[in-house]
Amino acid sequence: MVTPARITSAKADGVAGFRLIPRIESFPAVVRFAQTPPGKLVLLAVFGLGMRVFLPDLRSVMALMAPLALITFLPAYRRLLLAASTIAIVVIETAGNSLLLVLTLTVIALSVLLYWCAMRWPNSRFAKRPVLILLTGFTCLTVFASSRAPQSWAYSALWTLVGVLSAYLWFIAYALTDRNSKPSSDLALEVAALRPLWGSTNTPFPKGAAYLRRIEAKTPEQLAVVQLKGLKLLVWAILLDVARALWNVFFHQYLQIPTPDQALTMSVHGTPAAWHLRWACQLLAYFELIFAFSIFGHKFIACCRMAGFNALRNTYRPLSSTTVMEFFNRFYYYFKELLVDFFFYPAFFRYWKGHKRMRTIFATFAAAFFGNSFYHLARDWQIVRDDGLWRAIASYQVLFFYNAFLAAGLCVSQLRKRDQNRGGFVRGRLLPAVGVGFFYCILNVFDADERMYPLIEHLKYLASLFFIHF
Amino acid sequence: MKGRADIRAFVQGLLTASGDDRPFADSDSLLFSGRLQSIDAVEIVVFLEENFGIDFAQVGFDKEQIDSVDAICALTESVAKSN
Repeated sequence: MVTPARITSAKADGVAGFRLIPRIESFPAVVRFAQTPPGKLVLLAVFGLGMRVFLPDLRSVMALMAPLALITFLPAYRRLLLAASTIAIVVIETAGNSLLLVLTLTVIALSVLLYWCAMRWPNSRFAKRPVLILLTGFTCLTVFASSRAPQSWAYSALWTLVGVLSAYLWFIAYALTDRNSKPSSDLALEVAALRPLWGSTNTPFPKGAAYLRRIEAKTPEQLAVVQLKGLKLLVWAILLDVARALWNVFFHQYLQIPTPDQALTMSVHGTPAAWHLRWACQLLAYFELIFAFSIFGHKFIACCRMAGFNALRNTYRPLSSTTVMEFFNRFYYYFKELLVDFFFYPAFFRYWKGHKRMRTIFATFAAAFFGNSFYHLARDWQIVRDDGLWRAIASYQVLFFYNAFLAAGLCVSQLRKRDQNRGGFVRGRLLPAVGVGFFYCILNVFDADERMYPLIEHLKYLASLFFIHF
Repeated sequence: MKGRADIRAFVQGLLTASGDDRPFADSDSLLFSGRLQSIDAVEIVVFLEENFGIDFAQVGFDKEQIDSVDAICALTESVAKSN
C-alpha cells in the first residue's frame, strides 16, 4: 500500500536522486562497451575532445591523450608508462634550459634516493622524521641561497635548485612517508607520482604513490567504471566553466559589481564602493573561489581517473558544509590532506597528549597556521629571492593573519560538538551552511591581493562592511 | 580491554554523527572512501589511545591502519601482541 509518507519519501528521493549528468558508470551496457576496443576509443576520443576546452592547442591534447591511450590499452604497464611520461614531461618542458633539465632530473633522482634510504634504514633518524628533515633542508638551502651575491653563477644555480625543489617538495614528502604503508609502492609508481601526467599545483593530486596504489583499478571492469567517472567529472568541469563565464558576464560586466581586489583598491584610495556592492562582491567571491577550485581540481582528477586511479574529488559539495572544518575538507581536499598529513598528525601525536583541547588547538595551528604559511612561502620562492628573506616574510603579514583567522575558525569548529541529524533541515543544515558561508566571506577579505596592501587596509575594509570607519 | 564490537559501535557513532546512515561491513574503507574525514580519524586515534593504549608517535601512523573496522582490529591485536 502506498502511504502519503512513502509518496513524500519517493518525491524526496527523486529530488535528491536527480543528476545533471547521468550515472553512466552504473549502466551495465555502457560499462561493457567501455571495456571493448571500440568503446575505449570512443571514451578516449570524447575525453580528448573535452580536454580541448581547457588545453591551449591540439598538440597539448595529443601530448596528454597519447599516454592515456597507451595506459587504457595496456593497463598492465600502467605504472611504467606513467613513470616514463613523468620523465618525458620534464624533458619536454625543460628542453630549452639545460641547467633546469639537469637540476630537475637530479631532484627526481634525489627523491628516489631519499625514498630508498628511508626504506632501507627504517630505524634511522632520517626514516623516523623524514619530512621534518626534508623541510629543514629546504629551508636551509633557501637561507643559504639568500646569502649568495646576486648575478654570480652560484646564485643562479642555487635559486634554480630552490625553484625545482619547491615544485617537488610535497611530492617528495609523500614519497618519504610511503615507508609506513604496507606493502610499499614500487619504484615506478613512486617516480610516476612525482608531478604526474595529469597535472598538479604544488599540492600533489591525489597525494602520493601509496594512495595511488590503493585506488588503482585492478580489473578491466574497474578501469571502465573509473574512466567513465573521469569522463563525467570532466563534463562537470566544462559545465562549471561555462556557468562561471556566464556568472562573470552577468555580475561583473552587466551589473558592474567589483571584484574583491577592485573593492579593496577603491577603499584604499578613498573612493569606496557602495556598502551593498562591497557585501555583494564578498558574497560573489565566495562562490567564485568555489567555481575556480572545482574546475581546476576536477580537471586533474578527471585525467587521473582516466589513467585508472579512482581518486576522490578535490572539491565535493562544499555548499552543503555545516561546519567551518567540513568546508575546509570539502573545498580543497588535497591541500587539507597535505596539511593534516605533514603538520597536524605529527603535532597531534607528539604534543599535549594529556590535554585534549590544547592538543587539538596546537595541532590545528601547526597545520592551518604554520603549515599553511610555510607552504605559501616555499611556493613563492621568487619573492624570497627578489625581496630577501625577512622582507618577504614581512610582506606576508596579510597571509599570516588569514591563516591565523582560519586556524582559529577551524579550532572552534572542531571543539564544538556536531550532530548533523539534529534540528531538521533549516536548523540542522541550512542555517549552519549560511554561517559557514559568512565565515569564509569574511575570511576572504584577507585573501584579496594578499601582498598589495598592508594588513591595516584589509582591517579597515572589513570594518567598513559593518559601518565602522577608522 | 574493549573488542571488535566496541570498535564497530564507535565507528558507527562517527558515521551517524556525520549524517551517514548507510550500512557498512567490517572490511569497508572508511577514510579513503571519503565516508569519514580527517577529524574523524583523529577521533579514532584518541579512542585507540584511551582504550587500547596505542601510542602512534611510537608505532608510526598510516591511515590504512584505521581505514576499516578490520584494519583497526588488526592494529589493536598486533600492538597487544608486541606488548
